Amino acid sequence: MIAQQILNGIISGAVYALFSLGFTLIFGVNKILNLAHGGIFMAGAFIGFYAAASGLPFWAACLLAMVGAGILANLVDLFAFRRLRTSKHGEFGTMIASIGANMVLISIAQQLSNTQDFRFPFDTIPISFFRVAGLRLSTLQVAIVILVGVLLILLVLYLYKTSFGRQVRAVAGNDRASMLLGVNPDKVYFQTFFISGALAGIAGVLIGLLFNSINFLMGDTYLLRGFVIVILGGLGSIPGAVIAGLCLGVFQSLATSYLPSDLTEVIIYSLLFVGLVFRPNGLFGMDTSAIGAVRR
Amino acid sequence: MMDFLRDYHPLFDFFLLNVGFAFSQQIVLRAGVFSVATVGFAGLGAYCSAIMVKNYGFGEIPALLCSMALGMVVGFLLSLPLARVRGVYQAIATLAFVQIVVALVRHFEGLTGGALGIDRIPRLIDTWQLLAIVGVVVYIIYAIGKSGVGRAFDTVRQDETVGIALGISIRRYHTLAFVLSGAIGGLFGGMQALTVYVIEPGLYGFNSMVTILTFIVVGGRGSVLGPIIGTAVIVALPEISRPLAEYRQMVLGALIVVMINYLPNGLYDSLILLVRQRRAVRLDKQAKEKVNAVACA
Repeated sequence: MIAQQILNGIISGAVYALFSLGFTLIFGVNKILNLAHGGIFMAGAFIGFYAAASGLPFWAACLLAMVGAGILANLVDLFAFRRLRTSKHGEFGTMIASIGANMVLISIAQQLSNTQDFRFPFDTIPISFFRVAGLRLSTLQVAIVILVGVLLILLVLYLYKTSFGRQVRAVAGNDRASMLLGVNPDKVYFQTFFISGALAGIAGVLIGLLFNSINFLMGDTYLLRGFVIVILGGLGSIPGAVIAGLCLGVFQSLATSYLPSDLTEVIIYSLLFVGLVFRPNGLFGMDTSAIGAVRR
Repeated sequence: MMDFLRDYHPLFDFFLLNVGFAFSQQIVLRAGVFSVATVGFAGLGAYCSAIMVKNYGFGEIPALLCSMALGMVVGFLLSLPLARVRGVYQAIATLAFVQIVVALVRHFEGLTGGALGIDRIPRLIDTWQLLAIVGVVVYIIYAIGKSGVGRAFDTVRQDETVGIALGISIRRYHTLAFVLSGAIGGLFGGMQALTVYVIEPGLYGFNSMVTILTFIVVGGRGSVLGPIIGTAVIVALPEISRPLAEYRQMVLGALIVVMINYLPNGLYDSLILLVRQRRAVRLDKQAKEKVNAVACA
């Protein structure tokens, strides 16, 4: 029973991690706390749903959701953040602007869906169960784990093995110095927003499938969870987001079966609060002193 | 006139309460603290007053005083760890605080009624009392703004390094801002409980937090009139026309994005800045004319 719960937790944790990767990437590179990430995640789920409902195969729906959400993230960047990047109100301004953008996205989705819950068509993914070492595993769960793993490997390869990735890391470290060395930060911002949106979009589709429900408010819950994950994992840290995502997934899955749900919330957010105050660089103690969480 | 007053009476109450919340939010932002804890303070204050009045039969004055004291104490306690954390990290930590308050209220059903909230709270606060207390708070905020504390707040917000160089203890002023914000937030939360008959945890969650931030973003965070104007605009928007009410979220969201991009100081503060610039230009011109006149003579 416990093993089954842990397994379920790892699967939802993998999707949490996917969601948080984009969130943490934007913060690491652009120094923007993008609260519209929840809205983009939800929009990805909607795009995936409409694609699947119109009869496209599952892989096409996923691809469409990724591209659509990626473009949406770029639009948010263009309209909400571009002007603020150079202003002195940057840190405060971008967070407020992202709240506004999130409200617009949620409101559009509400109008589109008439405040209804959507479900993916029944046969989007063939459902069959099999047993591994006494644990029940569905094809969907296997597909999710494989997909998340592949995307994670692709992201790491991209960031650490390509010239683009080197540029991204250079801009994350110091955008002005990298500009002097011939890196175009605008290009890097464009890429990171697209990637972050695409990851959020596919995470939206997967969550929509896993919990069999898509609605305009689904982003807020994951946004708040995303905060917990990126802070505990260290804002801007990719391995931290993955580990913290998996941990949160397992914790939540165990907590839902053994604790009252509101108490779980209290514990999760207390963890966030305590983590922020005592280990603002993340539980794994990575050196992120450059992010300036604490006053010197 | 009487019809108008009767129709818009609840709206006016709503406006006054939100002006209070807006001030609670403004005072921290003015001191350069990026706290969004106002709704959390308001929630604590509201439940404190509601429980005291309904379960234990206290009058409105001790209930409100307790709400205010609770806000102050929690504000002080929050400031202890948070005065050393900076910028967006303060925002995330206070957001966690807001979520913890909501989850706790939901959890202790016996005391707070859980997700259903507390209903049939006697209405002990009249509109004129609300108005009077808002007046007092406006005066206090104005007085603080004109005093050394206000100048210290402004310095800390604009440049921390300058503040330190001038011998201003950032931690002390951040603590002060948290305590003031908690006191105002708790007080107006208590008054909300004693005006609106029903309170429930949803009133003190993420959405309300965003709405209160909007008041300040639209109005401005540097002056006394800013939050009042911001609140008036946002509260009046859905009343002006039906489509605005239906697409309220969308309009608000777009408004926030546009304001922060093009008028980052808010409506009122931008206006003041413009007037000051005009005046400076005019004075400059006059001075030059005078110099020219002297030179010609």
